Formats: sequence, structure tokens, C-alpha cells
Amino acid sequence: MYQYDQFDHAMVAARNAEFKDQVERRLKGELSEDQFKPLRLMNGLYLQLHAYMLRIAVPYGVLSSRQMRTFAHIARTYDRDFGHFTTRQNIQFNWIKLADTPQILEDLAAVEMHAIQTSGNCIRNTTTDQFAGAARDEIDDPRPWAELIRQWSTFHPEFTFLPRKFKIAITGATRDRAAIRVHDIGLQLTDKGFDVYVGGGMGRTPHLGHLIKSGLPGEKLLSYLEAALRVYNRYGRRDNIYKARIKILVSALGPQEYARQVEEEWATLDQAQIDAPHAEIARIKSFFPQPAYADKAFDAAALDRAKAADAGFARWVRNNTLAHRRDDHVSVTISLKPTGLPPGDASSAQMDVMADAADRFGYGELRVSHEQNIILPHVAKADLYDLYRLLDQNGLSSANVGKITDMIACPGLDYCSLANARSIPLAQDISQRFADAELTDKIGDLQIKISGCINACGHHHVGHIGILGVDKQGEEFYQILLGGRADEQAALGVITGKGLSAEAVPAALERLIKLYLDLRTDETERFIDTVGRLGRDAFAGALHEPA
Amino acid sequence: MKLLTANRLTDGLVLWYAGGPDLSGWNEDAALATRLEDEAAAALLEDWKARETEVVAPYLVPLLDENTLVKREYVREHVRANGPTAGQTAFDTARQHQRGEVF
Repeated sequence: MYQYDQFDHAMVAARNAEFKDQVERRLKGELSEDQFKPLRLMNGLYLQLHAYMLRIAVPYGVLSSRQMRTFAHIARTYDRDFGHFTTRQNIQFNWIKLADTPQILEDLAAVEMHAIQTSGNCIRNTTTDQFAGAARDEIDDPRPWAELIRQWSTFHPEFTFLPRKFKIAITGATRDRAAIRVHDIGLQLTDKGFDVYVGGGMGRTPHLGHLIKSGLPGEKLLSYLEAALRVYNRYGRRDNIYKARIKILVSALGPQEYARQVEEEWATLDQAQIDAPHAEIARIKSFFPQPAYADKAFDAAALDRAKAADAGFARWVRNNTLAHRRDDHVSVTISLKPTGLPPGDASSAQMDVMADAADRFGYGELRVSHEQNIILPHVAKADLYDLYRLLDQNGLSSANVGKITDMIACPGLDYCSLANARSIPLAQDISQRFADAELTDKIGDLQIKISGCINACGHHHVGHIGILGVDKQGEEFYQILLGGRADEQAALGVITGKGLSAEAVPAALERLIKLYLDLRTDETERFIDTVGRLGRDAFAGALHEPA
Repeated sequence: MKLLTANRLTDGLVLWYAGGPDLSGWNEDAALATRLEDEAAAALLEDWKARETEVVAPYLVPLLDENTLVKREYVREHVRANGPTAGQTAFDTARQHQRGEVF
């Protein structure tokens, strides 16, 4: 993985020293809250419902075991012993003291991490495929390009005060696991260069990104992005926060006109001054080699015997492993969705266990997925049972990846000051309702995504079943969306039926799922495919109690 | 009738005004919050808005009666007064004060 050079270290150290001084001045009353708020937000520190929340960037979701142990240390020392992995591949701590933040940022800097640009109207953490560098269907590794964008966008003087926040996602595989079509800019690596999608996003007015450029050479990526951002920075609306995202500009201009303006702007730029030289791209790529794979003898018969003897292990292998570029390895997803606990949460002890697992079985590397799980990208098949037992002993062996209980959920009104309704208790109720492993396997692949407000941090627009919490004069109601998906066939879900109370949602989903099981052609037809074949209307009636 | 609430500057924790001229009069336990008449509440709010080295983002929470939140505010203020309703810190605030849920 990328390692800081002297400039990275110096920049982060200087920013931390600056913020330490700002905190001290705020505590002494030399800065007002109005003056201090934008400064703390630039360093990822929010004031939420119960306390300060610190959001820490995990660049493109890649973590070392040492960094994961630092998260455990922060959870134990400064928080209430747990952290929350987010839908943007970051981590949040919910009970941080303002006075502790300078020391926390120093602890993070010691392991080459920070919280810079995790808030504000700037370019946020670039996200990517959690299986980057490991997946069998990968065309090219997106991590070096994500790192290049990180270096270009960090403290970019022109793009620190954009009309609104800006999110970039990259995928390098045939299957889109980075949800690129619902990002401000989505980049698809192909064997001919980058396909560039612009103007996607969720929130109040969801849009799918439009393809505005195909085959962009990698060495021209930064200047093209600079041109795209410049047009947005110049014409994006600053008069209305609800219309300030690039999706509104692209929609208003039309994708073709926006693309034309980008090309025009691109032609005026001194591209050689912006684009990274070949040597620099090669230098960054050198930080992302394949691991020194252990030559462990894999005994397929022994694995089969272990699966036959342990049904839990067999299910975990079936659901939580993904084909690796090497035949003797797999990628393992550690589900943070155990029955009845908040999606994406992990205790400090669990973080330490995951770090240990990475060191023992995963070449010291972990990833955070936007689905709020943790990945060990490279695990020898010979180690699978030992890894499973370690995880199982620590409450980390939920075998539900991609299933109905592998939900995305934002923190909702239990923590977030913007939320209108709670997400976590509803996710817990649903996971308890579908706790039966045989049933969830029978249902097959199904993504439920829950947001506690229209800002859509829980990606409800692109859930096969999306759930949006709304407030109706002090009562929480939930709108159900059907038919969304975030993959290479991205689609926005559509609100179906009337809003439901929290108590009514699990039963409604049960009726919906029963109908799907009745209607599907066979067990290979996924829920989203059945909805696509028959239309949402075929399912709308199931959401409500029969009269 | 109203409650005055804010977050403490130093640690961000939720505080409730419970009488007195300085920060020591505020309490982390919503059960001890002073029920204020509307006029007094408005005056106190203005006073505490200016005391930025002690509390952040003070505001008033309307009550229907001494122990009943206005419905529109119910979920948010119930969560603030008692802690998150789910997860590792479920009802943490209520437990810390060794009480059941208020409001």
C-alpha cells in the first residue's frame, strides 16, 4: 500500500499543528463557534446528536493491520469502545471530546492517516472496489489511480470551496462494486483507458451518472478531472444548497453540453503541468505490488472435509469468499452485520482481532467496503478454516455477505443530527426477522439499504429494496423503494406503496419476500431480476396488510 | 413550557439547564432539567448563546406539560435525553444516571 513520503508527513503534521492551535484558541474563547465550525469540519470533526463525531479517512478503503489497531486504540482510549465503518469506506467515532482531538490526530498521523477533507465542500475520499488488486474479474488495479487522485485533490487550492461536496469512485473490474454511477464522477477502468461518468448522485434528487468520455488515457486523467471540476466550480449553483451538486448542473446543461464545456476547458489547460509524469505514475504503482504469496499447499479434500463437518464453515465459505486472481487464494469478507447489531459497527476488541487475522492470514492488509464490511483481500485457501475459527470465536463469522441481512444502514437519528428517523433499530428488527440462515440462503442475493433521511447516506436509492426514513409530525415512517441497484446495471429504485411504521416494515418485507419466492422462475433468479421481469407493481400489494 | 439544552464545548456531551448562573447549573441528566416558562426560557437562551466557551448550539425544547415532549420533537429529544436506542451504547445516558427513560 502507499506509504507517505516527506511531503505527506510534513503536510499532515503542519495541518495537525494548525488544528491543535485552533482547538486551544476555541477553548480559550479566542475563536467563536461560527469561526471554529468550518475549521473543525475541515478536520472531520462534527457536532452530532450526543457528542462530537470524528470521521477518519480510509483512503480508497485500504488499511494496514497497524492502522486497524490504531482505530482500536482510539475506540478504547477516546471513545466508547467501538467505531462505525461508513458507506464511504471511512470510519466514524461517535463520542469524541474536543480537547482530545489534537492527540487523536497525532496518533493517526503516526500511522499515516488523517481526517482531512472528510467534510466540507471539497473533494472527499476517493472510493473504489474493495477487492482491488485481488479480484479475478479485474481489468486493471484502481488503487494507484485512486492514490494519484488523493494526492492531486488533497489541499487542491482551487477546489477547497466547491459549490458542494464532491465524490469520486473508481472501479477496475467488469463488475462494478464501487457504485460509480451514483458518484459525482465515476471512473471505469477499461483496457482502453478510463470511461468517465459525471453527474451521478443520490440525496434529494437522485441521478445516474452520464458517460461523457471514453478511453481517456490514464496519463491524462488529472488534467481531464481538473477541467471537469473547473466547469462545475464555475457554473455549479451556490445560491441553493439543494441544487449545488454537479448532478444538477449536468442535468440543467445536458450531458453533451457539459461534456463540450469540459473539452473546451481541457484544451485551454497546460496539461503537462497538471498530469503526472510517467515516472510518477510508475512510482505510485510500485506501492501496490501483489503480496509475496505464501506457497502453502492447498488440500481441496481437507477443505471439503472441514465443510462437511462444520455447516457454519461451509456456509461462510460459500457466502463470504470471492474468487481471487490466484487459484490457491480467495478474498474473504468479514461481515459486520451480525444478527441484531448495528450494521458497520465493530468493537475495539474486534478491530484488534481483524488486525491479527490480517497479520496471520492476510499479508497484513484489510479493506473497508462501502457495504460496511471488512475484507481480507488475499487469503490462502489452506488457511480458511483457521481464519474462520478465529473470527467465529470473536463474533465475526456472520455468513451473510450479499444476503438480505447484509444491510447498509446510516447511523440515523440515533446519532446523526441531520436524520429524520432511526435506521439502526429497523435494521436490527429486519436482521432478527430474517435470522434463519436457511431462509436467507434460499432468498439468495438481495441488498437492503436504509437511510434515515433524504441525504441518502444509507444509499436507499440503489438498494434492491431501499428504505427511507421520514418524519411525519414527530412520527417515524418508512418509504419502501423497489428496483434500485448500484452495480454495472445501475438503476434508481422507485417509491412503492405508502409509508409504513417501523413496526410494520419487517412484516411487509416478509410478505414481499414470500411473494418473490413464489414468483421467481427458479432459485437462480435473484430478487432484483424478478422485480425487473415482472415490474414493481407486481410487488406493491405485498407491502401492505391485506384488507 | 420549555427546556433549555445544549452541548458542552469541551466534550460535546448533551447538557440540560437545571438552574443557576453558571455551567455548574447544567446537568447531563435530562430528568433534572428545569421546566421553564416561555419568557424566562427565551431570555436564558439569549444569555447562553453568548457564552460560547461553555456551551455550543443551545436551543429550546418545547413541552406539552412537565414530562411530555411536543410530538414533533419526540424522537430526536427522546434519543438525546436517553442515549441511542440501539447498539453498543443503547440507552447509555439513562443507564449512566441509573434511571429509566425520561420523556
